[in-house]
Amino acid sequence: MKNMVVVGVLLLSLMPHANGAGFSPPGKPTLTSCRSPEKETFTCWWEPGSDGGLPTTYRLFYLKENIETVYECPDYLTAGENSCFFSKNNTSIWVNYNITVVATNELGSTMSDPVDIDVMYIVMPHPPEKVLVSVLEDKDWPFLRVSWEPPQKADTRSGWITLVYEVRIKLEEKDDWEVHLAGQQRVFNIFSLLSGGTYIVQVRCKPDHGFWSEWSSSTYVKVPNYFHRENSVWILITTFTAFIFLIVSWMIHMNRHSLKHCILPPVPGPKIKGFDKQLLKSGKSGDVFNALVASDFPPTTPPRCEDLLVEYLEVYIPEERELMREESKHLQDGFLKSEGFASDSDSGLGSCNSHTLLMDNSGEAKETDRRTDQERSRPGAEALTYAREDVSPDMSSGRVKTWPSVFSPLTPYSSGPTDQPGAKQHCLSDSVYPPGSTSPCSAQDLGLNYWEFCFSSMQPHLTQTRSDVNVSDIGPERAAARQQSPAPRPTEYVEVQRVSEEDMVLLQPVGPGPGPPARPGEDYSRVKGVRGHNVLLLQTEEEADGRACEELETKGAAHKPTACSHGGLPAPGRAAPAASGYVDTAMFVLPSC
Amino acid sequence: MDKVVFLLSILSLGVSSQSITDSQRLFTIAVSRVQHLHLLAQRLFADFESSLQTEEQRQLNKIFLQDFCSSDYIISPIDKHETQRSSVLKLLSISYRLIESWEFPSRSLYGGSAQRYQIPPKLSELMRGIQLLIKANEDGVEMFSDSVVPQLAPYGNYYQSLGEDESLRRSYELLACFKKDMYKVETYLTVAKCRLSTEANCTL
Repeated sequence: MKNMVVVGVLLLSLMPHANGAGFSPPGKPTLTSCRSPEKETFTCWWEPGSDGGLPTTYRLFYLKENIETVYECPDYLTAGENSCFFSKNNTSIWVNYNITVVATNELGSTMSDPVDIDVMYIVMPHPPEKVLVSVLEDKDWPFLRVSWEPPQKADTRSGWITLVYEVRIKLEEKDDWEVHLAGQQRVFNIFSLLSGGTYIVQVRCKPDHGFWSEWSSSTYVKVPNYFHRENSVWILITTFTAFIFLIVSWMIHMNRHSLKHCILPPVPGPKIKGFDKQLLKSGKSGDVFNALVASDFPPTTPPRCEDLLVEYLEVYIPEERELMREESKHLQDGFLKSEGFASDSDSGLGSCNSHTLLMDNSGEAKETDRRTDQERSRPGAEALTYAREDVSPDMSSGRVKTWPSVFSPLTPYSSGPTDQPGAKQHCLSDSVYPPGSTSPCSAQDLGLNYWEFCFSSMQPHLTQTRSDVNVSDIGPERAAARQQSPAPRPTEYVEVQRVSEEDMVLLQPVGPGPGPPARPGEDYSRVKGVRGHNVLLLQTEEEADGRACEELETKGAAHKPTACSHGGLPAPGRAAPAASGYVDTAMFVLPSC
Repeated sequence: MDKVVFLLSILSLGVSSQSITDSQRLFTIAVSRVQHLHLLAQRLFADFESSLQTEEQRQLNKIFLQDFCSSDYIISPIDKHETQRSSVLKLLSISYRLIESWEFPSRSLYGGSAQRYQIPPKLSELMRGIQLLIKANEDGVEMFSDSVVPQLAPYGNYYQSLGEDESLRRSYELLACFKKDMYKVETYLTVAKCRLSTEANCTL
């Protein structure tokens, strides 16, 4: 009894002493976490509060689901400071635990907030073990193979825990990780590595309903240098490309002129006769254009024959019907040609300048003709002189060119205007005069025209007939000329001097350059009109006096001896023109095609 | 006659090996289905808890400890040791019963979740799968489920008997118990599957 009182007094004396020193009951501890590494055991950790200056003890109490008994932590030591370890025997899964930590010191005790846990949901495994990283090669490209083992304590073999893994990798000097989910497998391949780089690899795992483990310890791996192989390929490619480029540029250099021609074709120069490029370059445009203007154009004086451009009409009469069509085209072309008045001297067939044989031979004869022609070639005079040749069938292509036959005028004329120097010969085609026909209207009545006919049905004899007829007129020279006429170039031409009006074509005989003096003056006939496809109506100059139409029958088959026109005899005392106004085509020598 | 017996034995071997393969396949399907249900239950529970206020949460936690889940009468292994001690067939039957116990109560889960996620049909499908597995693996052992089935009827209405004012508590209980039971079935089926698999490493 006395002992108890003493103890009580002592305690009482002690207590105020303790209070007086500033101590306080412990602060409230906090349960930080409870974790189970393998779903069989678990550990809880707490954070102690202030101890109040006095030694404080911490005790953990828990309640199990549906059981009233309060249990205390079985093991405070295994898991370290401020922890409680629940062994297998003390762990029940799918059972709710209500855990509380109590801090006690001399002055009092404080309880923490209770925490409810279910072991199945607090699983956090240990990190994977035995992480191995090896460098392998896949067709000269290296890759990493990472392999590991599950944490030892986790029972994955029986299926108690199902773990999924995650791998992460980064370059040693970099900061950002590349994370890959590996699923339930224990091996993982990583590709697309930097040549010669050093990598750090880590692995962690997680149960299907739980927390991620900590990352495993770092594994270092060095990737070998494989870039040099890649490099050599690039060097090869670069060299090859440079070589090809050199070759191509050299080829372009060699062919630069032709290339230049191809890409930038030269601008064609002007093709105007009399156009002086140098003058243009010098910049005097006035002079340039003045030079173009032909001084003798329009010709005020009777032009020299050489100066004029040659224009001739070619009319072909086809042999067959099929040819006729073809010919008609030519005829029309011929007609068209006659309308032009400035053309090259080398146009068309049978250039007048080409064959001069007959003319040369019959130079003398021509002279007389010229004279007579000249007489009649007064403007206004209508004389048709013909250069007649023997119609030797010189038909190379089935067309016989008409050969001009020079007919002396039936009526002699007084010499007219002086011979023009360098007068061209007449190129006239003879009309085929059908045998037996009446005497043709004199050629002299007709204007000086050159028509080249191609009569398919032309018979040479017709022409010869004609020529025979004229032999008498012509005289021996003529005959001689005629005899000599089988010249290879039987045609002579009349050049179109100009087209003065719409329907007037001025023709001028064309002869060789230095030949006998060409007939001076001009003979022309007016084109009255075109009838049909192959008929050209010509008008003699003395149309006013009487219409003399010359019709040239170009139809081969129909060589009708048309009535000749008697329009406008050049000489005074012209006969009245024939009523029909047609020219007898027989006047013309029409070579057979 | 001997030849016939020989042929028949070979055939049965083939069939059994075939059945093992089929069993594995069925197990895989069953495990994946129950995993899905478990995840669903977890999500529903988490949503429900987040919709509660802190005070309510604390109260409910306290209450829950003292309540029962309707499936508590079903004795099931509660740790690894017990689970591994149980046979495959036992595990299968327990799983079947657990699923069956939720066939009706699952219809009244919180917030119309049952209709939205079609939980009752999924449960029925799982039950059919487990039945097939039981048939595939039974070798003359008595089934538990047949004897237990009639007893379920009175428990079927357990949750419906609770009053209206305790609807919040009831929802909490339903969701928590549902989650727990799904996890149990998943664990049992996984363990059973691993035990039957021929590979040493079950997880692959």
